Amino acid sequence: MKADRISSLFWLAVGLTAIYGAIQLGLGRLRQPGSGFLSFLAGSFICLMALIVFFQSFLNGKGFQAKISALWEGVNWRRPLVIALLLVAYILALERVGFLLTTFIILGVMFKGVENLSWWKTILLSASGSVASYLLFDTLLKASLPKGIFGF
Amino acid sequence: MDFFANLLTGLSVAIEPTNLIYCFIGVFVGTLVGVLPGIGPVGAMAILLPLTFGLPPTTSIIMLAGIYYGAMYGGSTTSILVNIPGEAASVVTCLDGYQMARQGRAGPALGISAFGSFIAGTLGIIGLQAIAPPLVSVALRFGPPEYCSLVILGLVVLSYLAQKSMPKALMMAALGVLLGTIGLDTMTGRPRFAFGIPELLDGVGLVPLAMGLFGISEVFINVEQAVRREIYDTKLKNLLPTFKDWMDSKWAILRGTVIGFFIGALPGPGTSVASFVSYAVEKRVSKNPEKFGTGVIEGVAGPESANNAATAGAMVPLLTMGIPGSVAVAILLGALMIHGITPGPMLVKQHPGLFWGVIASMYLGNIMLLVINLPLIGMWVRLLRIPYAIFFPLILMVCLIGAYAFNRSTVDVGLMLFFGVLGYLMRKFEYEPAPLVLAFVLTPILDDALRQSLILSGGSFTIFVLRPISSGCLIIAVLLLITSAFPYFRKKGAKGAAELNG
Repeated sequence: MKADRISSLFWLAVGLTAIYGAIQLGLGRLRQPGSGFLSFLAGSFICLMALIVFFQSFLNGKGFQAKISALWEGVNWRRPLVIALLLVAYILALERVGFLLTTFIILGVMFKGVENLSWWKTILLSASGSVASYLLFDTLLKASLPKGIFGF
Repeated sequence: MDFFANLLTGLSVAIEPTNLIYCFIGVFVGTLVGVLPGIGPVGAMAILLPLTFGLPPTTSIIMLAGIYYGAMYGGSTTSILVNIPGEAASVVTCLDGYQMARQGRAGPALGISAFGSFIAGTLGIIGLQAIAPPLVSVALRFGPPEYCSLVILGLVVLSYLAQKSMPKALMMAALGVLLGTIGLDTMTGRPRFAFGIPELLDGVGLVPLAMGLFGISEVFINVEQAVRREIYDTKLKNLLPTFKDWMDSKWAILRGTVIGFFIGALPGPGTSVASFVSYAVEKRVSKNPEKFGTGVIEGVAGPESANNAATAGAMVPLLTMGIPGSVAVAILLGALMIHGITPGPMLVKQHPGLFWGVIASMYLGNIMLLVINLPLIGMWVRLLRIPYAIFFPLILMVCLIGAYAFNRSTVDVGLMLFFGVLGYLMRKFEYEPAPLVLAFVLTPILDDALRQSLILSGGSFTIFVLRPISSGCLIIAVLLLITSAFPYFRKKGAKGAAELNG
């Protein structure tokens, strides 16, 4: 499947949803535009451009022919996926477990699990990274990072 | 005399110890992110934005602006030594800079970029200082229709310059507008697209949006390929360019300054276009254009001067009209608004300390940058040897903390991750994030201006065409849209681009 065709259909759906939402909000009248007026214009414009990209994908130009599989050819797509999942875990754990511990663990997993650094490098970097950032952001810049159930 | 009086006002603000320290932090961080590929000035500014909340507004803008122009200095180092641009505005510097390094002339290449940047940066600020007051008096006559058309022109120009596809870029601009409408409607007080999430009532934050699209997604793109950096191993000597080097590059620096300043001041193009245009001009006026790409010093001096002058030029529309021309400047606008300051023609009257203080700090920042980048060049080169494996988890962590610290809420962190994944997919499918962010930041201005104009005109769109400045902007925007639609111009543009790359 061609990348542009799929992506344009996705944006067409986004644009149509925006138009629907904007109509629900109320477009108002031209002399007194309502809350949904600009969103309606933006949604319609997204749809128009998505249609142009969609039809362009049927042209024989060189730039319009990339297949979706080609976008991930020759790269290690698992690494961004794993990192994204780790970040989701981080968000879920942050306020429960506390900043220091969560950050130490997440950095450790990235250094060891994703990058396969040696154990001593992993521990050294994760510990110094989490403690230094805590001191910088919480102690020095008063960003008040979450403490979690362990109290640190 | 006003020129010097204003300069003195500014300097008295800029040399306050706090402002000096934050100016230094800004240019230092700027050089750092400029040197390191994988994170650019926009990402760095977005990450540090939440940390400026506790600071006075002038100090925060001084620091954030320092990151912006500091990155232009740092970017050249990586281009010359590693042949990978440290940031987008240094792409063309690779062409001749890396060749110079291979011929053992890394020193003069780095030297002329630093000196060229300094000269262009300083002349650019003089230009900014000279051009801002008259522009302010013009901008004071702007009403809602003018602002509306100006915003539209800026978005069309940025999309016109999109590297891949203009319809895609325009679509992203429209998406930015859509995202910008999320939150309470300031005119009616109704929530728009908040999906029942209380955090969204204030709208999507600029910090999670910009950090996701420019910080997190960059990391995703970088980790999926094993980036191998081969630093050209050469002894850095003779950083001071010779008399001949100066003679060869003096006009390139001056032309680069003028080109960069005016391109930077236009809404849309930004620093990387400035450096590309300067390179193309240097090649065209050169007696030996065929030598470009083999390590000629003009090919380094011109673009590196242009991208610095462009940062000064880019401050013109922000400080005078409150309209940012590029994404990095849009972050500055966001920072001003977070501090409760509305940028625009009234800025110089209401906050003269901020207005002139920021400008004066840029003079001082450029001097600091010359010192940071020339005698300390060895430190930056050593930094380049640290593998990306160690950098990216730290970049991610700073992003996470930055997003959390903004509102002390994990919703913002989640939003940042969402935009990170979106940005990654956008890059894969060749949709550019820049028009999205610029449109997002401009939406409150656009929304108010559009509705006020229509209320003023009693519902007639002719108000946009009957007023000269507004219609001028719209005519240019329409012309750009028409020319991009015809294959003839597209082919010509593609040929020009090929010439640049060849």
